[in-house]
Amino acid sequence: MIFRKPAREAPALSPLKVKWLGALLLAAQIPQAPHLPIWVAVAGLMLVGVRFLLLRGNPRRPDAPPARIPSWALALFAVATALTLRQSYGYIAGRDPSVAFLYILVAIKFLETRTDRDGVLLVCLACFLTMTPFFYSQSLFAALAAVPAVVLVGATLDVLSAKDDSKRVVAPCVAIRRSAVMILQGLPIAILLFVLFPRLAQPLWGLPSDHSARTGLSDSMSPGDITELTVSDAVAFRVEFEGPVPPNRDRYWRGPVFSRFDGTKWTASAIGMTNSVAPATGRSIGYTVTIEPNNRHWLFALDLPSSLPKPADNVQESSGYTARITRDQQILISKPVSETMQYVQRSVVRSSYASTSQIDGPANLELGRGNERTIAFARELREANPDPRAFIAAILTKFHDEEYVYTLATPFYASNPVDGFMFDGRRGFCEHFASAFVVLLRAGGIPARIVTGYQGGTINPRGNYMIVRQSDAHAWTEALIDGQWQRFDPTAAVSPSRIEIGLGGALPASDIPFLARLDGSWLSNVRLAWDAFNYDWRRNVVGFNRDRQRSLFRDWRVDEMAPWKGVFLVALVIFAWGALVVVWLMWKRRHQERALVLWDDLNRRLASAGLPRHPYEGPLDFAKRAAARWPQFAIAFSAIGESFAELRYGAVDVTREREALVATLQRAIEVLPAPARLRSTSA
Amino acid sequence: MAQLAAAGRPTWLARVRQRTLRHAPSDDAPVVLRHSRIYLLPTRRGWAVIATLLIMLLGSLNYALALGVGVTFLLAGLVAAAQLHTFRNLAGIEITPLSAGETFAGGSIPFALALHAGSAARTDIRVRGGNAEAGGDIAAGQALTVTLDVDAPTRGRIALGRVTLSSAFPFGLWRGWAYVHFPLVGIVFPAAEIGAPPLPRGFGGADPLAQGTSDDSDLAGLREFQRGDPPQRVAWKAVARGAGWFSKEFDGAGGGGPLALMWDALPQTLPVEARLSRLTAWVLAAERSARAFSLTLPRTHLATRQGRDHRREALTALADFPAEAPT
Repeated sequence: MIFRKPAREAPALSPLKVKWLGALLLAAQIPQAPHLPIWVAVAGLMLVGVRFLLLRGNPRRPDAPPARIPSWALALFAVATALTLRQSYGYIAGRDPSVAFLYILVAIKFLETRTDRDGVLLVCLACFLTMTPFFYSQSLFAALAAVPAVVLVGATLDVLSAKDDSKRVVAPCVAIRRSAVMILQGLPIAILLFVLFPRLAQPLWGLPSDHSARTGLSDSMSPGDITELTVSDAVAFRVEFEGPVPPNRDRYWRGPVFSRFDGTKWTASAIGMTNSVAPATGRSIGYTVTIEPNNRHWLFALDLPSSLPKPADNVQESSGYTARITRDQQILISKPVSETMQYVQRSVVRSSYASTSQIDGPANLELGRGNERTIAFARELREANPDPRAFIAAILTKFHDEEYVYTLATPFYASNPVDGFMFDGRRGFCEHFASAFVVLLRAGGIPARIVTGYQGGTINPRGNYMIVRQSDAHAWTEALIDGQWQRFDPTAAVSPSRIEIGLGGALPASDIPFLARLDGSWLSNVRLAWDAFNYDWRRNVVGFNRDRQRSLFRDWRVDEMAPWKGVFLVALVIFAWGALVVVWLMWKRRHQERALVLWDDLNRRLASAGLPRHPYEGPLDFAKRAAARWPQFAIAFSAIGESFAELRYGAVDVTREREALVATLQRAIEVLPAPARLRSTSA
Repeated sequence: MAQLAAAGRPTWLARVRQRTLRHAPSDDAPVVLRHSRIYLLPTRRGWAVIATLLIMLLGSLNYALALGVGVTFLLAGLVAAAQLHTFRNLAGIEITPLSAGETFAGGSIPFALALHAGSAARTDIRVRGGNAEAGGDIAAGQALTVTLDVDAPTRGRIALGRVTLSSAFPFGLWRGWAYVHFPLVGIVFPAAEIGAPPLPRGFGGADPLAQGTSDDSDLAGLREFQRGDPPQRVAWKAVARGAGWFSKEFDGAGGGGPLALMWDALPQTLPVEARLSRLTAWVLAAERSARAFSLTLPRTHLATRQGRDHRREALTALADFPAEAPT
């Protein structure tokens, strides 16, 4: 019999258990709430609150059973919520409305939770809810925010499994401590699984049908957008080169180009199509791109594309996509990329091309509102440097020589973000630098614009292809000088390693030498440490994916190991863990019953000294007999007998008193000499 | 192997079955639960949580949520730790069989077992044997005596059979259990016939306590208590008053002498069980009225005696009477 037969009438949950479930739900809901529309967030929390209010009962009729909301009303409410969500999001099958619906549904279920089985279901739903915030943020903070819910899952299970509201339930700290201790005990297994469990190469389902804006570049850029992307290790696209792979500093993957600026946010200008690539001479590079679905109209090509994309040989033409190229040399297709696509592309690596349109100049001088300080500064600088190239060099020198920090941990620049970055914060990621650079150039009278895309990419040595991830997202600039659009990357001025090596080379403190000039105050050290920690977190925890796992296995030479050896090793580790925890548990319990351990020890010692305790003999009688045998220790023996009898059979509930008695017992036992000497004394 | 089996040694398969399922009452008291006896499987709740974790894992892997994977495995670690705690809760318990009780058919037999916690506290230990269940918490170093009241619908001997100790502590995710099988056997006496005919007449005069000649035993008076007087005849009221020790003397009991309860004396038309029931009723009645009796069954004869042990022997003989009447 593995299962106990379920009772016909499942036992009802006590109010205390319901309260625990409510606490668990709140702990699971709160980290999710900021990622939801405000009305969903508030409604979910309020529904849980309603149950708590119902539990309090009617103060005028305290004996009445707690009021209930009828199930049909809740079902109706659930349907209404689903419809409202559909209205609000425009679709229901995607990830975001599903998460919102789960959030509300769990709260509704809580309102009608009555039996033990409902409680378990609720715990399972809460487990799901603990996971959903990670769709939106995988920061360290998000991880910490999930901890209370995880601990409460264990504690609530503990409370639910108590037969009645006994002392197990009454003390909340007992259940929470037990759960926390067990999570710590399970931590080695968790880490082992996290490192060893194979990750998926391809998603199994769902991503294409998701309407939601998935992580990826968008059709606008505000400060912080690209910083946010670096959190995601999702693959943007993969590339297979026909010839040698160009060096990292040449791998600018061109994406959306932004000309319009309102002072904070960059957007694309009206799209002008040319359907012809910019004429180029030079060695062209051929490659095949496998792009992940991003629900956007754009494709990526190495700067600058020298052809329109063609479907790869092994892909049917019938997909119905037609590709075009904008005047800004951005490749667009007729339908959003909703499934993995492959296309063959050719590019010529170069950093400038001739502008083909008369309106390019005037369309790229807009400055938007605010940011007066930057504009004034740029005009001054321009007057000092009439030559456009000298002017640009002066700006880049400023970025390089002054205290500008290339970092993920950027402050939030509320109004006049360019001013805030340029003169106050001086800490930014690539979009801050690019944005400020373009504003400076425009204020100085040079047409300029933002180009977003990806920079770099890592070669997967196994498959011999390149992976470009969302974390490679980048923003750079182009300036129109002498009829040529010329690429400038202000990030390179601040952090050359970002462009030469990639993000990984740019952020650890040792690679950012100019930070050292921040006079070494403790605050800057803390900031550096925080930055390094954040980077480690993103890289080693959030970014621990299939590729990282593979390379780790290679480092450990796991892939050279025979499979049975690997399985055997894992089994051995798990077994060793189990044995260690059990031994520890046994030892800990033993420690708690210290009096018993001391007494057993004393019995052994006296037995080997020639005075074994009779099985029927109580502590007082035994102590009396021992005192008669060794009169010189009579006081110690009587203290031993009395304190042990009091501990074992007395009604000493106060911990402090117990501890004092145990101390007395221990001291009295310590008075006695070793068994061998005891034996000789008696002789 | 076949030769071994023929020589009375169980086959390899039988030994494995015995080791795993403990069908035969082979446990010598006391038994300490060790890993070889303890089984662990998820409960319904455990399966629900494991299924949830699997779905979470699949979702996290699909959407490449490293932290989702992390939380899933953190909870998986919790489930794994819960398994160890459930194991720890059972491992080291020492089980001693205490006694098997007696009852009349239709009652329930109390089987008593002692569970010694050993050095660790035990929480919510369930003990099930037959159709009875008992259990509770045991503090470290303490023992818990559990009594399993097993239903006894028919007379005869009832073995306690295999006992299952189980616990789902701490989270109810895992059920740990262990089998112990002690050779504890309780005796079920036949149910006494309700409204049985009065006792048959005894041999008059042979009872040293009998004085009169009438059939009914009327109180005739008190005399000084003598050693050996049956307690039923002590005048307890007088003792309680402090008047001293007296024994009651009864008048009559022309048949108040020793009784001879005989199987063959009962009507042949009565079925076996009915006859046993009647004899049981008579044994009880004889003992109640403190009369010595002998019992003669087809294969058993109990000499004329009196007292608790005699009553028990007689009832046991009746309980053990073979189901088919010997021809």
